[in-house]
Amino acid sequence: MAAPTTNLQQFKSGLLDNNPVLVQLLGMCPTLAVSNSVENALVMGAAVIFVLTMSNLITSLLRNKIQPHVRILIFTLTIATFVTIADLTLRAYVFEVSKKLGPFVPLIIVNCIIIARAEMVAIKSSVWRSLADAWGCGIGFTLALCILASVRELLGSGGITILRDAGWAWHLDAKVFEPHAWVIMIMPPGAFLTLGIVIGIVNQIRARGAKGGA
Amino acid sequence: MDFGALIGVFLGVVLVNNFVFAQFLGICPFLGVSRKVDMAFGMGCAVTFVMTISGVVTWLIVHGLLTPIGAKLLGNPGALYVLKYVVFIMVIAAMVQLVEMYLKKFFPALYTAFGVFLPLITTNCAILGACLLIDMNETYQSSLLKSAIFAFGGGVGFAMAITIMAGIREHLRYSNVPKALQGAGITLLTACILALAFQGFAGIGK
Repeated sequence: MAAPTTNLQQFKSGLLDNNPVLVQLLGMCPTLAVSNSVENALVMGAAVIFVLTMSNLITSLLRNKIQPHVRILIFTLTIATFVTIADLTLRAYVFEVSKKLGPFVPLIIVNCIIIARAEMVAIKSSVWRSLADAWGCGIGFTLALCILASVRELLGSGGITILRDAGWAWHLDAKVFEPHAWVIMIMPPGAFLTLGIVIGIVNQIRARGAKGGA
Repeated sequence: MDFGALIGVFLGVVLVNNFVFAQFLGICPFLGVSRKVDMAFGMGCAVTFVMTISGVVTWLIVHGLLTPIGAKLLGNPGALYVLKYVVFIMVIAAMVQLVEMYLKKFFPALYTAFGVFLPLITTNCAILGACLLIDMNETYQSSLLKSAIFAFGGGVGFAMAITIMAGIREHLRYSNVPKALQGAGITLLTACILALAFQGFAGIGK
């Protein structure tokens, strides 16, 4: 695949062709851990988009000042700072969800997606290009998380519940589905199963596309 | 100190709340470095080593530096806790460097055996995860010994998981896996069955 030349292509590349989770297989730990409900997936996605945007922005602004041998240290410290901000914000506004996410919000610090984007794109690109890349990858990550989470939550608890207190809940008819809900899908084995199958499907689609198209 | 409680902490984190199969920490090396048993075992040992040391050092920094300094200078023990994450990641990076230099100087054989795994460990989320879990749990906040055993057990559990997986993958090489599932796909499906087995430990202890 040709290297992306415009900002829009950069955005689309992160979103679909080079989706960080489903194609590049980066950031597996949070993907498996927080995809047990759509609500968790959305909040986690928002946190990652925020941190990725800020880290790419700062890295891109400083790209002429950073000495090559200290770059990883600078990336890590930038990311850790913004993760702290994201974590405190989540605790202040969506405390219940932040409790469920547990250590996985602070663990964004060592999320390979963010360091990979800083190293591969932001350190050598203009600010707009880096932002396009951050949003592409961030939304791509959230999209992958939401696909996994909707499968798991639907099968595992019989319906999708987002912000129950605000009334944004949707459930299938309990009689049809809930007594038979596969609880295992929201437990750890379900995470491995769903991700394995989804990656298999994505590979199949990509193999078809490679044979037919390019 | 109740000896039974320590054993409980250890078995709890190795079997019941295994880092890989129940808490999803350290999945990247679990998928990436599990092709051969000897490599997987080397990675597991290196992780155990660094995890134990970082767990203890971060505990000491939070309770020996951040809390008293915050209490004395700013009048609030929690005042410096915003620095926690930055401190944790720096401690881990420094620890990996230190361990690497120490091993190179005094145990060259071990250093060669760990090889490329040591620098990789800095970004292993299981290490930071162990430090964060220790920091979030009240039982471990009050006891350094329990924290150390938790961190050590986490490493042992990780080493066990990755070694089991490597053993299975060595056999999988000779089986006919559908093309789309080769690599990560079949590894995740195998992990699913292993995780199912580890669910069986869920009733133990507590």
